[in-house]
Amino acid sequence: MSVFNLNGKEVNYAGSPAGRLLDVLRGEWQMTGTKCGCKEGECGACAVIIDGKLTNSCLVAMGSLEGANVTTIEGYRETQRFAALDKAFEAVSAVQCGFCIPGMVLAAECLLSANPHPTEDEIREGISGNICRCTGYGPIIKAIDMAAKEGDGLW
Amino acid sequence: MVKSFAPTTLAEALKLRKAHGLTLYTGGTDLMVEAKEDASYLFLHKIPELKEIKQDAQYIRFGAACTFSDLIDHPLTPKILKEACGQIAAPAIRNIGSIGGNIGNGSPKADSALIFMVTDSLVRLVCEDGERMLPLKEFYLGRKKLALRRDEIIAEVLIPRQNLDNYYYTKVGARNALAISRVAFAGILDVRDGVIRHCATAFGAVSDVILRPAEIDAMLTGKTLTQAKALRQDYLAAIDQVIVPIRGRVGVEYRKDVCLNLVRDFLDVNGI
Repeated sequence: MSVFNLNGKEVNYAGSPAGRLLDVLRGEWQMTGTKCGCKEGECGACAVIIDGKLTNSCLVAMGSLEGANVTTIEGYRETQRFAALDKAFEAVSAVQCGFCIPGMVLAAECLLSANPHPTEDEIREGISGNICRCTGYGPIIKAIDMAAKEGDGLW
Repeated sequence: MVKSFAPTTLAEALKLRKAHGLTLYTGGTDLMVEAKEDASYLFLHKIPELKEIKQDAQYIRFGAACTFSDLIDHPLTPKILKEACGQIAAPAIRNIGSIGGNIGNGSPKADSALIFMVTDSLVRLVCEDGERMLPLKEFYLGRKKLALRRDEIIAEVLIPRQNLDNYYYTKVGARNALAISRVAFAGILDVRDGVIRHCATAFGAVSDVILRPAEIDAMLTGKTLTQAKALRQDYLAAIDQVIVPIRGRVGVEYRKDVCLNLVRDFLDVNGI
């Protein structure tokens, strides 16, 4: 049994400690905002935030989560910071098919919380583990830059 | 029966290791690619003794559960190691992937392990009954084969304190982020008053283990740059002999050529 905090609520997990967080989120708890792209840590679609750090949920065993704080896109969307990113992504049409976007948004959050005024290179580095197969990186980078400027003070 | 444990002290972890063996898990970035459902893990990421970074008179000491991000952020981490860690995968991997795991996975492509090899680092292995120190070079017995006993845990990696300012590091991957090394090369040349005090090279992703041809590098130690220049062809010929790439996804001839080109460039930029 592991007990941890998921989007601000305590959860109990009694399944296999070797199970993947990604599979439990999507399969058992129907939290499908976290996407499954590659299951080997190469695409970033399944990114969540664990104890303040961007993490690919496909590479996290449930048993490692005891006492951890986990934020998925479902929890993050309730924040003001999300609202700023949401607005900027919409303003520059940064979303094409949308599959990579939950991971991109959480990568942006981790970047901006460590570095509220990133350069373009720093933004590129921050989302370097998140692959957009529509190849829409330009608008995504623009959106993160815009959110940083217009949401100044939130991070 | 699948059982896993997440101890919060090293003593507790060593007891569990001795009693049950278990698969050592720190970041999970390699283990969870396979994600064996019946795996029994000993989670090591919550043990403070394995997360410390400190130095003593002889060594800079890194706890084996330190992540690549921990190393990048720490003032004691040598620049060559920061650079290598900064080129590993992407932030979400660097945030949980650990140096103990990078070494313990036994891959010749491990990017932080290459730096620990070129710096002649040691590993401190601990078990319930005691501990021992082993040069990393002796820790690797072959591909995926380690001198790690069933009751032991890698506790620390120790870099001897030395002049690492003049280094050369190149990772050749298929892209910038999320790349597995096709070839990686690290070289260190400590030159003072025109004399080479120390020369060290290491080659990753070439053979079953990371290559560290110390006996060949010794050819240049104690030599002036002019003397070293005269030895250049002999040195390159000797390196050529030890670079025997194993077959892999990337061609053998290509990897060998790249290795030798990188060594030549390492010598060129140092005026040898």
